[in-house]
Amino acid sequence: MKNGWVKVGLLVAVAVLGICFWPKSKVDFNADIRPILNAKCMSCHGGVRQQAGLSFLRRESALEALESGAHAIVPGSPGKSELINRIEETDPDLRMPPEGDALTQQEVSLLKKWINQGAEWEEHWSFSPPDTAIDPPTMDAPFVQNPVDAFVLERMEAEGFTPSPRADSTTLLRRLSLDLIGLPPREGWKEHLSDWTFEELVDTILASPHFGERWAAMWLDLARYADSQGYQKDPIRRTMWLYRDWVIRAFNENMPFDQFTLEQLGGDLLPEPTNDQLVATAFHRNTMTNDEGGTDDEEFRVAAVLDRVNTSFEVWQGVTFSCVQCHSHPYDPIDHREYYEAYALFNQTADRDHPRDEPRLPLYSPAEYQKHRRLGKDIDAAREAGDTVGAQYQSLVQAFLEIEPQRLPVMQRLPADTSRPTPIFIRGNWLAHGDLVEPGVPAALGKDEVKDRLDFAKWLVNPENPLTARVMVNRFWEQIFGIGLVESLEDFGTQGYPPSHPALLDWLAVQFSSDWDVKRLLKTIVMSSTYQQSSFIKDEVLKKDPYNRFLSRGPRIRLSAEQIRDQALAIAGLLKTDVYGPSVMPYQPEGVWNTIRHVARWETAENGFQHRRGLYTFWRRVSPYPSMIAFDSPSREFCVSRRIRTNTPIQALVTLNDPVFVEAADTLASHMSRIEGNLETQIAYGYERALGRLPEPEDVKTLSDLYQQTLIKSGSLERVQPHDHAMETVASVILNLDELITKS
Amino acid sequence: MKVFRELLDHESRYLTRRHFLRQGSLGLGAAALGSLAGCQSLTDPMLQNERSPAKAKTIIFLHMAGAPSQLELFDYKPLLQKLDGQPCPDSLLAGKRFAFIRGVPDMLGPQFSFDQYGASGSWVSELLPNFKEVVDDVLFTKALYTEEFNHGPAQLFMHTGSPRLGRPSFGSWVTYGLGSENENLPGFIVLVSGQSAPSGGKSLWGSGFLPSVYQGVEFRSKGDPVLYMSNPDGVTRDIRKDAIEAINNINARAHEEVNDPEILTRMAQYEMAFKMQMTVPEATNLSEEPAYIHEMYGTAPGEISFANNCLLARRLAERGVRFIQLYHRGWDSHGSNDFESLHGGFLKRVKEVDQPMTALIRDLKQRGMLEDTLVVWGGEFGRTPMQENRQGITNRFKGRDHHGNAFTMWMTGGGLKTGITYGETDEIGYDGISGRIHIHDLQATLLHQLGIDHEKLTYHFQGRDFRLTDVHGHIVQDILA
Repeated sequence: MKNGWVKVGLLVAVAVLGICFWPKSKVDFNADIRPILNAKCMSCHGGVRQQAGLSFLRRESALEALESGAHAIVPGSPGKSELINRIEETDPDLRMPPEGDALTQQEVSLLKKWINQGAEWEEHWSFSPPDTAIDPPTMDAPFVQNPVDAFVLERMEAEGFTPSPRADSTTLLRRLSLDLIGLPPREGWKEHLSDWTFEELVDTILASPHFGERWAAMWLDLARYADSQGYQKDPIRRTMWLYRDWVIRAFNENMPFDQFTLEQLGGDLLPEPTNDQLVATAFHRNTMTNDEGGTDDEEFRVAAVLDRVNTSFEVWQGVTFSCVQCHSHPYDPIDHREYYEAYALFNQTADRDHPRDEPRLPLYSPAEYQKHRRLGKDIDAAREAGDTVGAQYQSLVQAFLEIEPQRLPVMQRLPADTSRPTPIFIRGNWLAHGDLVEPGVPAALGKDEVKDRLDFAKWLVNPENPLTARVMVNRFWEQIFGIGLVESLEDFGTQGYPPSHPALLDWLAVQFSSDWDVKRLLKTIVMSSTYQQSSFIKDEVLKKDPYNRFLSRGPRIRLSAEQIRDQALAIAGLLKTDVYGPSVMPYQPEGVWNTIRHVARWETAENGFQHRRGLYTFWRRVSPYPSMIAFDSPSREFCVSRRIRTNTPIQALVTLNDPVFVEAADTLASHMSRIEGNLETQIAYGYERALGRLPEPEDVKTLSDLYQQTLIKSGSLERVQPHDHAMETVASVILNLDELITKS
Repeated sequence: MKVFRELLDHESRYLTRRHFLRQGSLGLGAAALGSLAGCQSLTDPMLQNERSPAKAKTIIFLHMAGAPSQLELFDYKPLLQKLDGQPCPDSLLAGKRFAFIRGVPDMLGPQFSFDQYGASGSWVSELLPNFKEVVDDVLFTKALYTEEFNHGPAQLFMHTGSPRLGRPSFGSWVTYGLGSENENLPGFIVLVSGQSAPSGGKSLWGSGFLPSVYQGVEFRSKGDPVLYMSNPDGVTRDIRKDAIEAINNINARAHEEVNDPEILTRMAQYEMAFKMQMTVPEATNLSEEPAYIHEMYGTAPGEISFANNCLLARRLAERGVRFIQLYHRGWDSHGSNDFESLHGGFLKRVKEVDQPMTALIRDLKQRGMLEDTLVVWGGEFGRTPMQENRQGITNRFKGRDHHGNAFTMWMTGGGLKTGITYGETDEIGYDGISGRIHIHDLQATLLHQLGIDHEKLTYHFQGRDFRLTDVHGHIVQDILA
């Protein structure tokens, strides 16, 4: 009893002292309070569980009377707030949180101060639209070449960093080329370094037909593109590449991103859609189809629809919507019901886990199309003339039927009278039906009348939508800098990372959503001094900012799986540079397809088709191309926003021993050997051909020593021409240098 | 590789972690080298951690992916036999979620007969004629439990401590904490047999947010054990060595120029790749083993089999590999078809594992390796005492649904008690009634045996110190010897 009084006394004293000494500054809910609630309280008092009738998800629910009658939070009165009583409780049976450490003194005083100031909730930063009036800070420095730099420099200075000098022009050319088209500089560009402005260079690269290939590679991870249906048998899809071509073309033609969105999500609902717009809807036919005997088609149709919902929200909204499939979001203000309102939007298509992926769109090549039409007309004419018995008519019909189109799975709306009702799945169980819901979008992200997929797509690209533009500019930024302004590309919710440069992100988003011009966005980024900095890392910066969050140096990141392959082939002069077309099967080690179902054979492509860019590689979900996986490609079963870069011995073995890289090295060596001049000249040629700059003298020495050693050691080998072999060894070393497989 | 060594020495003057590793006389393995990259951001477990003396230095984890039925192998329930065919009481169904059971299923008695074996009198079913001989050498834990009841999430939970993608795997945590004892082999190796890959996919051995050097490396049973292991024609080992020295020479110069620690990691990876080209073929060459060993395990070199992988696991453990993870898939006995039934596919799986897993225990014991090698066997969850009735209709074949409330695992070696059964389930094997062990408890306990405090093995990521055991896990003292 006495202890109790002492405690109360202390509490009063602390409260009084606290009030006296609380500084006047306002507590920042998002920065100070939400992290405490998320980490310590929300797992029991959030969206999933509301123990004791308490949820901290929204202010209203947190202020309501508890089951006990007490109030967790009484604005203005920390002393009357049960929350404070319980976190300060010393009896372990009563203290909150019940497990783990008690809140720190600092956390407790923050909560008190916040309650005292009225316990206001703030909307999570990413759920309100960016401020369209945002201006870059005024920064008077030579570093500031465009608004991006002003934002970056302001933050850099605040953190005590200074910008790095501009990288040299050959480095920048290689960086630009790899970033914008995923290939080393094309022929002729380097020659123009002296007479073109940087902007002319950028414009030229942006106009390359390889631009679309590079950015399609990013998009295909999001679209979970594959050439197979997935699940256990994983049968082949022979026509999905038509969708890939659509993506490449859209990027090449700089289709505005809003149109890009409308066509992929709702192309079939556009007025009188063109074939191309229907092809675009194959985006959501990249879901898996389960062809296994005994499976319930409805179960896997539902799985595909769930995936479409989750993917749409991850790609365009950067929210972890799949959490809401089973219950209200534990941390973000999205209700369980709202998930199924979005589900209802996607629940009205004719596909139903059909083994042949029906419905499919028949597509003819232009020549086939002409021929098909002509034959059709001839047949009609013959019919009208009543001439339908002769051999000539038969052959017309025969020829007509022989023109077999490509059939691409597409989205197709169910007729209105067969539309499906959408119930809530209780706890995510597709057989446990709750209330029926109508189509809609989550209120927290901006409520609107949304009745079908096309409406949904329009809602996404409405400038009022708080997330789409932010999420997208962040994706492009990450591709260039190796790390997003919001590091968690896939999660802009309260559990994701806050942005490193909030104002810059918003400024870019506002710019982007004004015209949805992808090339302009990329141009803005690469025209900045920020982008053009040298990637040298100062010691003190390495300690304070190892991941370059504050952008005081240029990006230095390992190339992607596709880029590593494409670059080696391009350097060797082997790359087949045709754009567009069906998937191909390049060299693959024996036996890789042995452990999976035999629904097709791996038949290595020939006549140069084995040297197409990586993005055309045939993608079977249960057995993705091994060298791509070694360099961190996802398996494409589900949408993946971020490839986590790794650095492993297996990668070394790929670039040393994979037949693709061996062939590239051998071919590079033959180019080097044909150069007039001494060994050093030949080595310098090969090095420059690969890296775009001349080697340091000591590197030439390392390589010529290697040449001589190999020459001696291969003298005794059979079936080896020592000079060739020595040069091939040198070329392989060049193709394995860190500088080569890294963009710097 | 001289330049590379010099560089490392240079680095080590600045890096306490390196310094510690030297003091701690751990091998300069891939793990240690890899940590050089981005080391500034590492929360160093070795320094935080007052390591307790380790009882085990190696884990061999035999994961039966798909989840074998404990009720047909170890958890004998005579009452369930009596209830066979009767409708399941409501009390067991109220508020419960199952992967496939709908409505009211019937109870399903044990499908095979049981007997007691060894001095310990452990119950084992007739399906394990070999394993019953070694029951006194193992510890049975019969009341494990998990919240997850679908394969992918449950497997991830078992191997990463979280049901969702993106966390580092058990083997990654262990190699991050302890490094490897063999610098020429990966510290964390994965061997897969059975029907294709486990549901959780490659993420089961991914390194999550830990540096990528800690991810598991899969060894294949056919062709090159590790893809692209063989050099091209004409590239002798000697020539390859020169080539890698040249690569690392130039990379070292590049490092001086740009100061990116990632270059040092890459150099280490090339060195490691070179060593692996020698040590991997040697380590995986099962035909080196004498005939009596092949007989004991039932191995046939060149096949993809659990038996081969068990023997390979022993060879890798001998060579100091820290964490050896086996997956044997095809245990998902729902009863929806013959392959997935207790009298079909399940029987085949049991036959595939009985002899080799027994041989592994005997072999490790006879070599004196069992003292410091932990062997763990089990699925990601158990199976229901009810017969599955998918869509509310009893399945055509005998089978059971997924069940996380209670399941059996066995373990041996590494300072665990043996010849005992810990934990008990109720009369029908539905719930644990004593000695319950949560997956996080299992992880905490296994880490403890490796000398690691599970609360101190942390990595700072997204503003938080992450652990394998999340914010949970209690060491199960009662099973420690």
